[in-house]
Amino acid sequence: MSYSPTFSRRGLLAGAGALGAGLALGGCATATSTGGSAQQGGAVTLQSDLSSPLAEKAMQSLVAAYGKQSKYTVKLNTVAATTYQPLLPTYLTSANPPDVYTWYAGSDADHYSSRGLLLDVSSVWKTMSNYQPALKTLSTDAAGKQIFVPTDYYWWGVFYRKSQFAKWGLSEPKTWSDFLNVCATIKAKGVTPIGLGAGTGTAWVASAWFDYFDIRLNGAEYHRDLLQGKHSFTDSKVVDVFNTWKQVLPYFDPNGTAVSWQEASNQLIQGQCGMLLTGTFFADAVPKGSLDDLDFFKFPVIDASVPDAEEAPTDGLFASSKTHNSAAVLDFMTWMATPEAQNLWTQTSSGTVIPANPQATSPSTALVQKGKAMLAAASDLTQFFNRDSTDALQNTANTALIDFIQNPGKLDSILSTWQSQAQQAWKTA
Amino acid sequence: MSTKRLRTIGFHTGASVLSLLWFLPIALILVISFRSTDDVLGNGLNALPHSFAPGNYSAAWSGGGMQQALINSAIVAVPAVLLTLLLGSMAAFALSRYRIPFRRTLILLMLGGNLLPPQILLVPVAKLSQVFGLYDSLATLIVVEIGFGLGFYVFVLQGFMRTIPGEIQQAALLDGASAWQVYFRIVLPLTRPALAALGALAFTWIFNDLLWPITVLITQSKMPVTPALLSLQGQFVSYWNVIAAGSVIAAIPTVAVFLRFQKHFIAGLNLGAVK
Amino acid sequence: MTVASTNSVTPTNARPVASRATGRGRGPKRSWGPGRPSPLVLAFVLVPLLVESVSVFWPAVQGFYISLTNWNGVNPPSFAGFGNYSKMFGDPVFRKALEDTAIWLVLFGGLSAAGGLGCALFLQRERRGIAVYRAALFLPVVFSLTATALMWQTLYQPNGMVNGLLSSIGLGGWQHAWLADSSTALYAQIVPALWREIGYVMVLYLAGLKGIDPALYEAAKVDGASAWQQFRNVTLPQLRSVNAVVLSVIIIDSLRSFDVVWALTQGGPYNSSQLLSTYMYQTAFVNTDFGYGCALAVAIFVLAFGVIVSYLVRAFKESD
Repeated sequence: MSYSPTFSRRGLLAGAGALGAGLALGGCATATSTGGSAQQGGAVTLQSDLSSPLAEKAMQSLVAAYGKQSKYTVKLNTVAATTYQPLLPTYLTSANPPDVYTWYAGSDADHYSSRGLLLDVSSVWKTMSNYQPALKTLSTDAAGKQIFVPTDYYWWGVFYRKSQFAKWGLSEPKTWSDFLNVCATIKAKGVTPIGLGAGTGTAWVASAWFDYFDIRLNGAEYHRDLLQGKHSFTDSKVVDVFNTWKQVLPYFDPNGTAVSWQEASNQLIQGQCGMLLTGTFFADAVPKGSLDDLDFFKFPVIDASVPDAEEAPTDGLFASSKTHNSAAVLDFMTWMATPEAQNLWTQTSSGTVIPANPQATSPSTALVQKGKAMLAAASDLTQFFNRDSTDALQNTANTALIDFIQNPGKLDSILSTWQSQAQQAWKTA
Repeated sequence: MSTKRLRTIGFHTGASVLSLLWFLPIALILVISFRSTDDVLGNGLNALPHSFAPGNYSAAWSGGGMQQALINSAIVAVPAVLLTLLLGSMAAFALSRYRIPFRRTLILLMLGGNLLPPQILLVPVAKLSQVFGLYDSLATLIVVEIGFGLGFYVFVLQGFMRTIPGEIQQAALLDGASAWQVYFRIVLPLTRPALAALGALAFTWIFNDLLWPITVLITQSKMPVTPALLSLQGQFVSYWNVIAAGSVIAAIPTVAVFLRFQKHFIAGLNLGAVK
Repeated sequence: MTVASTNSVTPTNARPVASRATGRGRGPKRSWGPGRPSPLVLAFVLVPLLVESVSVFWPAVQGFYISLTNWNGVNPPSFAGFGNYSKMFGDPVFRKALEDTAIWLVLFGGLSAAGGLGCALFLQRERRGIAVYRAALFLPVVFSLTATALMWQTLYQPNGMVNGLLSSIGLGGWQHAWLADSSTALYAQIVPALWREIGYVMVLYLAGLKGIDPALYEAAKVDGASAWQQFRNVTLPQLRSVNAVVLSVIIIDSLRSFDVVWALTQGGPYNSSQLLSTYMYQTAFVNTDFGYGCALAVAIFVLAFGVIVSYLVRAFKESD
């Protein structure tokens, strides 16, 4: 019974195979593939994470409208938002990447651009001279070239139901003490004053409160620096943020960290909570006819000496630098920046966003006009926690903020843990 | 009443209670799938229905892309299950009935492939398929699904196949049968219950898989059911009634397969053993 | 002993009567096919092995390589040796995830094996309506988690059905914000995970139970054994090979429980329900720290492999 011939043959083959594999394995998974089969022309692939039903339809109509007036065609792939984000680096570094992507400006775009993954769209910006300088700065990477084309932006505000406020005899608070009074009044009426919705899957909503407290107390510039790792979370200024938050924490929904954001928006609509700090994407969650009852006010001013800044997340498009279709891509992005395209977008999507092009017609609803005015009057605009920093840092924020909301007494240990986790996140960024 | 009747009633009561408990979350899904969007948005998910909107199903079917997604899932699942069972039973046959050197190590090695957290293979598999120019293709997805499931099925099947008496094989070989004939004509039919059970399970897994499709595919029209269902969710707001309808649609094929197959792996064993 | 036609030959496990039967070590060693496997038979093994190598082993080696680097998915990786592994030991979240995974394995694993076996025993006889009951238990396995996760979230909400049920039977004091309370988040998620797993384990046990020769039960009854004794002395030993499969399935699915926990709490609130699998995913894809994420994956693999191998090596030894 001798296995030897079989064994040694197999063993040799196995060994050779392993060696070959070993040699090949090194760069394989981590390599940024260069080039693929060069296929000039063909449809431009637009990879989109705008998967809500209205947004998807709006994108489809945009793509169709573009195709009608251009010799190029665009193919739309809508992917679930939750799976889009982890896969974005893989998309961009692949051999034959999709050409155009919906995403937002900020740290992600800068990061990809610094690795040369994004197409230079400065030529498109030459046609966008009427855009606000702030948007252009947002779309410019560290090397000074534009890599992003904004399509629309929206705002955050404290939303409430007009009929409820009227019933309780309240008007929009302007200052912090006004706001506390409003909270106390609502609580006395037996309704939860402030809804949260930082439960399963939407813990990031809590960051809005953190952002706004920081902006109102310490200013937008300090906030941006903090989110870029230039300040520590154990700073006294950050402690101020939380001490101010503690003043209003008793008015929060006690189950605020147990319900999702969509549930919380439902609570507002049903009158189970009085106010909700949320972005205008909230309007998608409102049943037809109820939108008229909704209004918002800007986050109350806490320190009058600090210039007002607002959160105005901006969405748009960027493109892969490895596209084989650059002429078509640039043409498409130029068209997307025109008033007609942006009008079509704002009309067919949810209708509560502001088109990035100043010449496009913003929806004429009172809500949008009010939001636009609020942003125009702001001295500075920030994007939102994760857009101004990184997703890794957002993750540390979720942990810290939910912990704080549930256990405000543990503030010191929460902040020092947050700082050490943040340092880890910056190391691997 | 005889004890037998009492026992039957007792059984059915118990089984019904168990089944109803199990069915409860799915009953909720069904209820939500028939509510209108405004009802769900306005009254929340916990409320009793205030509407009846069977239109959700057609919305999910065409607008939501469930029709195409079901086809894609079937295109991937059917060949993948057939090939997996074929390759798995071949390997199990060889490893369980022949003295192949290192057979136990090989079985453990193949099983080990299933112990790797699939999420971590996501990026290497994506890169590899790009390198070979096989990215964004259903055929690649089939290969990946087969490869990832094989180890487990080999392991299970070899467990079943070892229990087949060696004499049967001896006799067949004496009659002049080749290895292939022993495999195909004798051993494979004997493992039919296991094959049916594994087939049903494999079909469920592959049909409803999420991870490999999103790794290997980019084009929306190629996505199978679960990624398609997931893409009905918005970044912030989701119309849960349509998604619920979509998931009911997505579940129908796998339930049908299970009902069809469970006859095979339960029956088919004549326990008139060889004496 | 003649070879009966293939339709009525049944694979049987050990028989009480020592004959030239296949063995759990009883009777003489079985004689198999020829001593030297033919090339065809080798191909039977090598082709599947090749397929698995290409789609699993090669990417796995790549994953292992990544664990030796620092990589964020975009920049070229920088070699870090075993830095990621030493990081694990000083990481409090890793320790928490390890604890949680151990708890999960024991509770989820134990309960799904016991529950699956129980349901299989309960539903094993072919009678009218049995397909409906089995299908009801199997339904959670086939229903997409996208929708079922939402249902469990809704059930677990502070004003949801679980709390409602508790207050209606007078246990109002037990109400919790199940998924948001750090003390209950992990345990609460075991329920939906079990709900999805028991039907699957039941199917495996059903197939296994059907393979038990009823002659063994008859023999036991003749000997005056009670139902429990029959279970202990006939059923359980005969299920040993199925148990090996179920154990592997449970280990594999404990890793797969990633889906449930990620859909419901993402390991939160503040890491109180963090499993190794969710922590790994979060590290690789949210924190874009692929090096550390792959190191965590290797750790998971080593743990899972260690548990299974120690069990299987023993099982193999017994059966040969």
